[in-house]
Amino acid sequence: MEYSSDGRIKRGNHAAKMYIIIIIKCLKTLAFTGMVGLSLGERHFIQGGIAQDLRSDGRKRLTYRPLSVETGVIPQVNGSARVRIGATDVIASVKAELGKPSLLQPDKGKVSLYMDCSSTADPAFEGRGGEELAAELSNALQNCLLGGKSGAGAGIDLSSLIVVEGKICWNLYIDGLVVSSDGNLLDALGAAIKAALSNTGIPRVQVAAGTLNDEHPEVDVCDDEFLQFDTSGVPVIVTLTKVGRHYIVDATSEEESQMSSAVSISFNRQGHICGITKRGGVGLDPSILLDMISVAKHVSEQVLNKLDSEIASAEAEEES
Amino acid sequence: MEYVSPEGLRLDGRRPMEMRQIRAEIGAVSKADGSAIFEMGNTKVIAAVYGPREVQNKSQQINSHALVRCEYSMANFSTGDRMRKSKGDRRSTEISLVIRQTMEACIMTHLLPRSQIDIYVQVLQADGGTRSACINAATLALADAGIPMRDLVTSCSAGYLNSTPLLDLNYVEDSAGGPDVTLGILPKLDKVTLLQMDSKLPIDILENVMQLAIEGCKAIANYIREILLENTKQLEYRRGV
Amino acid sequence: MAGKSGATPATYSPSLTTSDKKKKPPLFNEDWVRPDGRAFQQCRPAFFRTGAVNAASGSAYAEFGNTKVIVSVFGPRESKKAMMYSDIGRLNCNVSFTTFATPVRGQGSDHKEYSAMLHKALEGAIILETFPKTTVDVFALVLESSGSELPVIISCASLALADAGIMMYDLVASVSVSCFSKNLVIDPISEEENNQDGSLMITCMPSRYEITQLTVTGEWSTPKINEGMQLCLDACGKLAKIMRSCLKEAASDSQE
Repeated sequence: MEYSSDGRIKRGNHAAKMYIIIIIKCLKTLAFTGMVGLSLGERHFIQGGIAQDLRSDGRKRLTYRPLSVETGVIPQVNGSARVRIGATDVIASVKAELGKPSLLQPDKGKVSLYMDCSSTADPAFEGRGGEELAAELSNALQNCLLGGKSGAGAGIDLSSLIVVEGKICWNLYIDGLVVSSDGNLLDALGAAIKAALSNTGIPRVQVAAGTLNDEHPEVDVCDDEFLQFDTSGVPVIVTLTKVGRHYIVDATSEEESQMSSAVSISFNRQGHICGITKRGGVGLDPSILLDMISVAKHVSEQVLNKLDSEIASAEAEEES
Repeated sequence: MEYVSPEGLRLDGRRPMEMRQIRAEIGAVSKADGSAIFEMGNTKVIAAVYGPREVQNKSQQINSHALVRCEYSMANFSTGDRMRKSKGDRRSTEISLVIRQTMEACIMTHLLPRSQIDIYVQVLQADGGTRSACINAATLALADAGIPMRDLVTSCSAGYLNSTPLLDLNYVEDSAGGPDVTLGILPKLDKVTLLQMDSKLPIDILENVMQLAIEGCKAIANYIREILLENTKQLEYRRGV
Repeated sequence: MAGKSGATPATYSPSLTTSDKKKKPPLFNEDWVRPDGRAFQQCRPAFFRTGAVNAASGSAYAEFGNTKVIVSVFGPRESKKAMMYSDIGRLNCNVSFTTFATPVRGQGSDHKEYSAMLHKALEGAIILETFPKTTVDVFALVLESSGSELPVIISCASLALADAGIMMYDLVASVSVSCFSKNLVIDPISEEENNQDGSLMITCMPSRYEITQLTVTGEWSTPKINEGMQLCLDACGKLAKIMRSCLKEAASDSQE
């Protein structure tokens, strides 16, 4: 077949034209089926690579991409961090505001998590397009980081946020923003939140003497004295993505488009599970699930060490 | 309130005709076709360009030109007071429109018929002059994406407080309620593509303020050109030329 | 509900295979009894009935203690015009609470979260390929909520889907357990849910022995997770039997 400069078919019979139309139609259906729009060959390549423990970017199934942490990126909040895992780039910020504890739990502060997917990361997030994913991420993070109703297993000790019991507490607003997305958003956001929390300084608060028993005690917020958070209990999230018969960590968006299901498990320093969420509708055999949990536990130790050292070096760099 | 001290210094210590520190970086979002970060003092924005690509919504397709779209959004943590605003409120719709029209004027849309170019700008920190910062970031991102443009549009704001023309207003000066002129120019062609002003200003003073803004735009244009040249050198170096 | 008086609610509780693993409750919990007097590993009496809504293609009503849920299924019907072509069917789930569902008026839990969870739990069980270009709507309404709403909604929804004749790989049964320091408590009521240390919810397809959805909150050790999962899976199996018998009953009634 020959093409003229304006792209039209110059020579060639009707059958050839039909052939092209069919190809175009195939391409269109492909674009609809996979979000990333991979060809059949590419899909086989990804799946085959995972089966042979050599992924398209040269990693093994249980290897993470390089992770980098930068803290204190947003000056106007109490704590912030930017985490990059490969081409995935997220920012988390922590803002503390004084508020009133709820009537049901007068001895606890409040933590709210809001995630947002910027349309810079993917044109599909334009308008309200990113809201669904943002809500899913917020829920999963809430599940994995905030622990049970009674506060057990929570990464943040809510009772440490109390200033005057039943009257004044700190409300922590944790905002996440996905700037660039190339898979594994949940792990990245979890890491960014952990880093942002260790970067957080809560101003010291002094309750004015004599007003402690009043309905609205007067408080004095110090501007130069900050209390650091104990973030050793904040868990890390490890997502295992199942592609074919195998599962991988830290999937790129191409790999995620081939997944049958993904399980995100969060672990703390003690190796205890702090939350599990599952994505993808395809069912999993319970024995495989238990297997995944033990593998994730092993991986989480490495991730936790890596993240802690990255956070420490980022903090050191910021101070210097 | 006094915005310019008797010694001629502004609240953040700048001179009236001094711009805040600017910084730009190309290639912040690796998946996008073009992207850039632009900082003006404490204002920081990210712009990402996707396209030229197939038109997603066929009914919007233009057969003679490219379709340019723009979305502006602010991060929850971008302002001092934490607020949670949904996308598409009135202010961001208006700014999206302003950016779109400004960029459309410089993109050679007739070269890319039946295609679509998406510009997404995300404000990470807002401290006055977000409009200008967004346009500057978008210019860089478009250049990074290799989209044909007539010239690099640059934008800068200027105001008039305490009978002094001030260049590049920050948030405090911006919210003082005085006149705020946002200007966008094509520096090489010496043409104005965007001019917005709030409040009132005598005509002869407007001329001065505009002249100041033009100077600011030109300074930014020089900086942007430097950044682009540096980026191109880097690319060349990596290819081993 | 009509017909409730005739049928004696079937009780189910998981077999005690895991009881040897069960640790002795700590001292402060020695004389702790559940607010409704059940044993730790005893579920509330479950009651299911299909065909609760005449206008729907399929519907089901479920009652677990005081948690009462009604689910209706519409479709498969034509997808909205604005939606793109899809060669598999779409599933649309929506969960809502009546204003009188909770003790405090109009204080239902987050519906959006529940809707998303219901969708994720069901999509793996439905053979979506059998109805391309069309949508199945699942609307769940919580009439009264007193703990473990989500598992009840999911089980009830799968029954409603079966009643509507939507092709499924298997019924989806769902059970949750709450963790109180060392004790695992199955099918918690809201009073227990509000004080729990952690929770584990499993939705599974019992005949295929596959987990379609799993959420865990709070701190758990690995053996504890094992124990909780076994307990849930076991209960899911029993629950599915009750659901199946409900379907059979409905089928034999219609034949008569």
